[in-house]
Amino acid sequence: MIEAINVSKHYTLKEKKRWFRSEKKTIEAVKELNLSINKGEIIGLLGLNGAGKTTTIKMLSTLLKPSSGTITVDGVDIETNPMEVKRKVNMIAGGERMLYWRLTGYENLIYFGKLYGLAGDVLRNRCQSLLENMGLGEAAHIPVERYSKGMKQRLQIARGLINDPTYLFLDEPTLGLDAPVAKHLRKSVKELAHQQGKGILLTSHYLEEVEELCDKVYIIDKGIMVLEDTPKNIIETFVKEFRVTVEVQNASTEQIHSVQRRIHEKGASFVSTEAAGGFVFEVISPFDATPLAASVCFELGLDIQRLETKKPKLEDAIIQMSEGLSA
Amino acid sequence: MWLPFSATFKRNFIVMKRAYPWSFFIGHILSGAYIVFFAYLSYTFVFNKDMDTRFTAYAGTNDYLSYVILGGVFFSFAVSMLMIVSRSIISELREGTLEALLLTPSSRKGYFLGTMSQGLTRAGIELLSILVIGFFFGLQMAIQDPIAVIILFIILLFSLFSQALVLGAFMLYFRDTYITQNTLFVLMGLVCGVTFPAAYLPNYVEWLSYCMPLTYGIDAFRMVMTEGETLAGIQFNLFYMMAAGILYLVIGSIAIKRMEYVVLEKHFG
Ligand SMILES: Nc1ncnc2c1ncn2[C@@H]1O[C@H](COP(=O)(O)OP(=O)(O)O)[C@@H](O)[C@H]1O
Ligand SMILES: [Mg+2]
Repeated sequence: MIEAINVSKHYTLKEKKRWFRSEKKTIEAVKELNLSINKGEIIGLLGLNGAGKTTTIKMLSTLLKPSSGTITVDGVDIETNPMEVKRKVNMIAGGERMLYWRLTGYENLIYFGKLYGLAGDVLRNRCQSLLENMGLGEAAHIPVERYSKGMKQRLQIARGLINDPTYLFLDEPTLGLDAPVAKHLRKSVKELAHQQGKGILLTSHYLEEVEELCDKVYIIDKGIMVLEDTPKNIIETFVKEFRVTVEVQNASTEQIHSVQRRIHEKGASFVSTEAAGGFVFEVISPFDATPLAASVCFELGLDIQRLETKKPKLEDAIIQMSEGLSA
Repeated sequence: MWLPFSATFKRNFIVMKRAYPWSFFIGHILSGAYIVFFAYLSYTFVFNKDMDTRFTAYAGTNDYLSYVILGGVFFSFAVSMLMIVSRSIISELREGTLEALLLTPSSRKGYFLGTMSQGLTRAGIELLSILVIGFFFGLQMAIQDPIAVIILFIILLFSLFSQALVLGAFMLYFRDTYITQNTLFVLMGLVCGVTFPAAYLPNYVEWLSYCMPLTYGIDAFRMVMTEGETLAGIQFNLFYMMAAGILYLVIGSIAIKRMEYVVLEKHFG
């Protein structure tokens, strides 16, 4: 398990004023953060730009030292024993960096593998199978500068797995990727956690991605942890609005009125519009009104053409939450 | 340490083979050749093949051509080696691979030694090329003690390696390679006794030559390669270079480590 306890990080910036005069400015990027990552778990780290996600990931991966607080990886303190921690973790950042463009994909992996102390057949086989798994088998011996963005990204993932880390940190891994590539990546991430038992921490801009993948989500705002929960709980806590759209045919205005009455009785609001050959109405309620809408139509003998429930998304929850925060 | 050493050697070798800017290579040989050529011209046409007594006194020889040619050979060599090692980390930073490198639990010493050894293959070819050019312009060698030449070469390498670490730390601190390296190289060309003995310089500049292991290296190479000195004759130079090398190594290792971290802290995104 990775455990971060009361971790803070501040950067000191020198602001140039006039000639040779500069002023020191402290930016508190992360404040008193507590988090834990278990093996086999996918954790999401959410927050706006500048919230402190990358800083957190860099601290967890030993690249930055916390200004205060402690981080342990399977009980090993990250500051007193960074080399041992480096063997167990790895980090992948979105974008095309962290690879040698002049080397081929295979040469990149061999190089990094050796820096992790791997050699011989073990290393060669691992590089080969990682390249195959990432769909780079055919591009293995082409210099990375000729790779597409998606291929570079996949090679980065292979690099991040070269030391078979117990914990993997992904900083915006799907940034700027095409939909199919991103989808493939999400599938890999799931497998890594659920089949290979790796602990994964992931930051992302795409809330759907987080909702799909993550077992638990941390939300940080200006360096402060504001919420920690499962995506499902977050949605249930914050989304107070469910929408069901129903389209019926051959209904009379009276029938629609009685639908409206019965829906109002249950404390939901109702909007209807006349459409070709029937009506379309929308039920908005603080609970999921799908069964209610269906049974009302059924009792009145209405001919349902379409019934659509808009499933609340993590995105809605976050929007509502941030509205609540700023209000 | 062995794995990062061999891995980095191999990596740099592949990169050199695949994408080495040949103009660099030619450029290095040419800059050595220019020194040789200028020496030849000034010796023949400016000095009329006749050096003043001060030169003989300071340099301990009146073979000006051999003096300058060897100076040029080892100056270009030192510049190449310093460049190769000192620029390695800042290049990683610029290419966006520094973080990936620092994520690994690998020995930085192995990394630097691998970089140096691979660079040596290239700088060695440059050195030999300039030496060959030098023969055409009148370099006269007299080697009595080949072992001394080899030992001297190894100790020069060590001291340059150490100095390169300090230089590399400067580059990381200033986020600059161009100004830092060129300032140093111009200074070295001036004070290390490349084309004239440092003793010509006013005292307040001459002391700079004491900071440069290359001064003692060039001096010793002249002794063992053109004046037939033996190992015993260059003892002082060897000790001095070792001591300077160790000092630079200590400062450089600490400074590089510190600067790597500072660079990461300053690195956005
Ligand atoms: N190297 C740095 N030096 C100074 N301030 C930084 C540095 N890196 C990030 N910051 C600042 O710290 C805050 C958190 O940044 P970051 O961790 O990159 O956020 P995120 O990844 O969530 O967008 C931001 O205000 C950012 O400007
Ligand atoms: Mg970020």
